[in-house]
Amino acid sequence: MEHSLFFWSVMGWMVVWGAIGGTVTRHAYFMRDLDVTDARRVGVAVGAATGPFGLIPLYFKTPKLTRLWKVAPWFGVLGLFVLAFALSDPGNVCVSSGSFLTSQIANGLIMGTIYGLMALGLALIFSIIGIVSFSHGEFYMIGGMVVYYVTAVLLPGWNPLLAVLMACALTFCVGALFERAFLTPIYDGRVERPIEYSILVTFGLAFFLQYLVQGLGGANPVKADAFIELPRWRWPADGSVIVTSRANITLFDTIFVSTPRLMAAVVSILALAALIWFLFRTWWGKALRAVAQDRQAAAVTGIDPRIMNMLAFGLGCMLAGLAGAVLVQAFSWLPQTGTIPALRSFVIIVLGGLGSLPGAFVGGILMGMIEAAGAGCIPDPTRAASYLPAYGMVVLTLVLLLKPTGLFGRKA
Amino acid sequence: MKTRFLTTAAALTMTTALAAPALAADCPIRIGGLAPLSAPGSVTGGEAMRAAMRIAIDEINAGGGVLGCPVELVVVDTEGLPERGRAVMERLITQDRVVAVGGGYHSSVGLASKNIANDTGIPVVFAETWNDRITADQQRFIFRLAPLSSEVAAIYANFAASVPGVQNVVIVAENTDYGLPASDMTRQGLEAAGITSTIYTVDIGTQDFSGIIQRIRADKPDMIIQVMTGEAAYNFTQQAAEAGIGPGDLPMTCDQNALESAAYWQNVPDGNLCFMNRVGLPTALYTERTTAFEAAYVAATGKDAAESYAMEAYDSIMVIAQAIAEAGSTDGNAVVDALEAITYHGVLGTITFPINTNNTPEQAGVEAKWWHQFPDPAITVVQYQEQGQSSTNAPVVYPPVYQTGDAIWPHQ
Repeated sequence: MEHSLFFWSVMGWMVVWGAIGGTVTRHAYFMRDLDVTDARRVGVAVGAATGPFGLIPLYFKTPKLTRLWKVAPWFGVLGLFVLAFALSDPGNVCVSSGSFLTSQIANGLIMGTIYGLMALGLALIFSIIGIVSFSHGEFYMIGGMVVYYVTAVLLPGWNPLLAVLMACALTFCVGALFERAFLTPIYDGRVERPIEYSILVTFGLAFFLQYLVQGLGGANPVKADAFIELPRWRWPADGSVIVTSRANITLFDTIFVSTPRLMAAVVSILALAALIWFLFRTWWGKALRAVAQDRQAAAVTGIDPRIMNMLAFGLGCMLAGLAGAVLVQAFSWLPQTGTIPALRSFVIIVLGGLGSLPGAFVGGILMGMIEAAGAGCIPDPTRAASYLPAYGMVVLTLVLLLKPTGLFGRKA
Repeated sequence: MKTRFLTTAAALTMTTALAAPALAADCPIRIGGLAPLSAPGSVTGGEAMRAAMRIAIDEINAGGGVLGCPVELVVVDTEGLPERGRAVMERLITQDRVVAVGGGYHSSVGLASKNIANDTGIPVVFAETWNDRITADQQRFIFRLAPLSSEVAAIYANFAASVPGVQNVVIVAENTDYGLPASDMTRQGLEAAGITSTIYTVDIGTQDFSGIIQRIRADKPDMIIQVMTGEAAYNFTQQAAEAGIGPGDLPMTCDQNALESAAYWQNVPDGNLCFMNRVGLPTALYTERTTAFEAAYVAATGKDAAESYAMEAYDSIMVIAQAIAEAGSTDGNAVVDALEAITYHGVLGTITFPINTNNTPEQAGVEAKWWHQFPDPAITVVQYQEQGQSSTNAPVVYPPVYQTGDAIWPHQ
C-alpha cells in the first residue's frame, strides 16, 4: 500500500468517531426520553461516516430514526472506507482496473449465491428444529459425489440434471430418516441435554458419512464433467460484446465468468425461487413457517410439528446436497470436501441472523463479495488468498459487535 | 515374465542380505510408514506411497524377513497436518513399537514429527519431505531420500530462465513449511536470472481460486510456477485453464500431484502442456530394479506407471530393512550407524548418505542441509504433450543432460 499511514489514519478516525457517536447518540436519545433501540447503531454509523460534522446535528436534533437513518449512514461508512483505500493505494489493481473489479464483483455474486443456497439449508433446520446441524457439509459432499458417480461411472451420457435430482432425492431421504431415527429424543424429553445431544449426534453423522464415502469410493479426488460445454463463439466478430469458450464466458471484454460456476449459480437461483414458492404458496410451506413462528400455536391448528421437523431437516440437507451437486463440475471433490463450506455456512447464518432465511441468503451473497474483495484487493499477494476464511470472520465480528442478533435476526 | 524374474531376483538378493543372522530382535519387526491418506493432505500421493511401502514389505517378507523375523508395516494417516503428524509419530513409537519409520510426504509433517523420533532414538528415513531444515538440523536419527527444496527451487528457476520470452513470473505456493521456503528460494533464483516474480500464497485445502486467478491474470505473467501439493493444485490448474491462463495458454509448472496421470486428467481435463518436476531416474535410465518395482506397482495399483514419491517410499522402507540387517539389530543407534555406511541399490539409483558423523558438513565443506541427505535424486522437468498421456511417457524437457524431447511452448 502506497500511503498506508493515510489509510490507517482514516480507519482510526472512523473507529474513534464511531465509538463516540455510539455513546453520545444513545445518551442524547435517552435523556430526551426517546426510543433508544437503534440510537447506538445509528450513532456509530453517523460518527464513523461523518465524524463531528454529522454527530453534532444528530445530537441536538435527535430526529426520529427512520429506516433511512438506519441504512444510509452505513453506505457512508462503506463509501469512506472505499475512498480511503483508493487514495491510499492508487496502484492497486482493484482501484486501477475497472474490468478487474467488475470481474471480481461478478465472481463474488456467483459464489455468494451458491454459499447462500447452502446456508439456507442450515438456517431452515435451525429455524424449525432449533439445532445446528454439524453434518451439513457432509450432505454437500454427498450431493457432489452422487452426481459424479451417476454421470461418470453408473450412467455416463445421461443428462447431468437427472443426477442432480437424484442427489437431491438421496440427501433429502437420508436427512429425513436421520431426523426420525436420531433427533426425535430431543422433542420428547428422552435426553437430559438436548442441545449437547444434537451437537454430538450430528457430529457423529458427519464422521460416519465422511468415512463411509471414503470407504466406498476411496479418498482420491474426483470431478464431474461440466454440465454444459459451450462452443467457441464471439459476437460481434471482434468479440467486443461476448466471447465464449468451452468453460468460460467473457462479456464486454471485461467480465470473465467460468461456465460451471455460472451454471451452478443459475441452478441455485432457480432452487431459491422454487423454495420461496414452496414456503409461501403451498400448505406444507406455510405449515413450516407457522411452526418456525410458534410451534404450539401451529400444533393447535392441526399442524404436526414432528412431521414439519422431518420435512425441515430433509429439506435443509437437500439444499446442501444441491449446492454440492452443482459445484462438483467446478471443483475437485473429496470425502472431506464439505468441511470448509460447512464452516462458512455457520458464519453466514450467524452473520445473517440465526434462523432467518432471507438473512442466510443475503449473508451468503455478502460472504461471496467479501471473499472476492479480500482475495482481489488486499495489497499483499502473499496474504490475499491465505487469509480468505478470516475476511468473513472479521466482518462477522464487526456485525455482532453492533447487532448481536445478526443482520436479519430477531430478538428471542 | 522378465519382470517377475527380476522381482524374484531382487527379493532373493535382499534375502541373503537381510535374513542371514537371526540376532536378538522382537518378532515381528515393525516399521512405521507416514502417508497423507485424508484431505487436506495429498491423498493421491499418500495412497501411492502406501501401495509402494506395502510392496516393499511384501518383498522383504517373501525373502524371509529381516533378522529371521517377519516385518510388519504400520501405515498412519498424517492428513498433511503438522499436529496430526506429531500425534501419529508418537503413536507409532509408543503404541505400535516401531523400530524405524519411512515414508512421509509433507514437509510440515516431517518438521513437526522428526524431533519426537530423534528424541526417542527411532531412525526415520523421510521419503518425500523437501524442506531443507529436515536435515539441516543435523539430527542423528533423521535421514532423507527426497531432494532438498533449495535444489528443486534452483531447477525451477533455471528452467524458467530457459523458457523463451519469460520476464515476469507468478509463483503460487501453499502456505506451509514446504511452499513458503520453496517459493522464496525460487523467487531468489529467478531474481538472480533477471526475472521478476510475485508470490501468491494460498491455504493447503483451497477449493475456489477465482479471486486470486483474476488477480494473477491482471498481472499478465509470462509463466506460472505452482508450489502446491494436494488437490488444491488440481483445482488451481483447472480453474486457471478455464480463465484463459492455464497450461495451454502460457508455460505453467504443475506440482508433483500431476504425475498421477489418471487423477490429473480426471480433475484437470484442460491441463495439457503442463510441466512437472519429477524426482528419480528418467524412464530411459531405469535400472532393472526400477523396472521390477514399477511392474509390481502397476500390477498392485492398476496405474500406468510408478510416481516418484512411490519410488521414494519404496526405497525408504527397503533402505531401513537393509540397514537393520547390516546392523544385526533393531537398536536405533546401530541402525543409524548402518545407514551412515550403507550402499543400497534402489529404484532411485544407488543410495548413500555420505555426509554423516564420520564426514560432517564442516569436514566436507558443504552446507548443513546435506547432512544425512541422499545427494543425487535426479530432478527433471517433464511435460504432458498429449491429452490423457501417462506421465511416464511424458518427455523430459529439462535439464539438457536428461532431455528426451523438446518442450512445447504454449505462448509461442
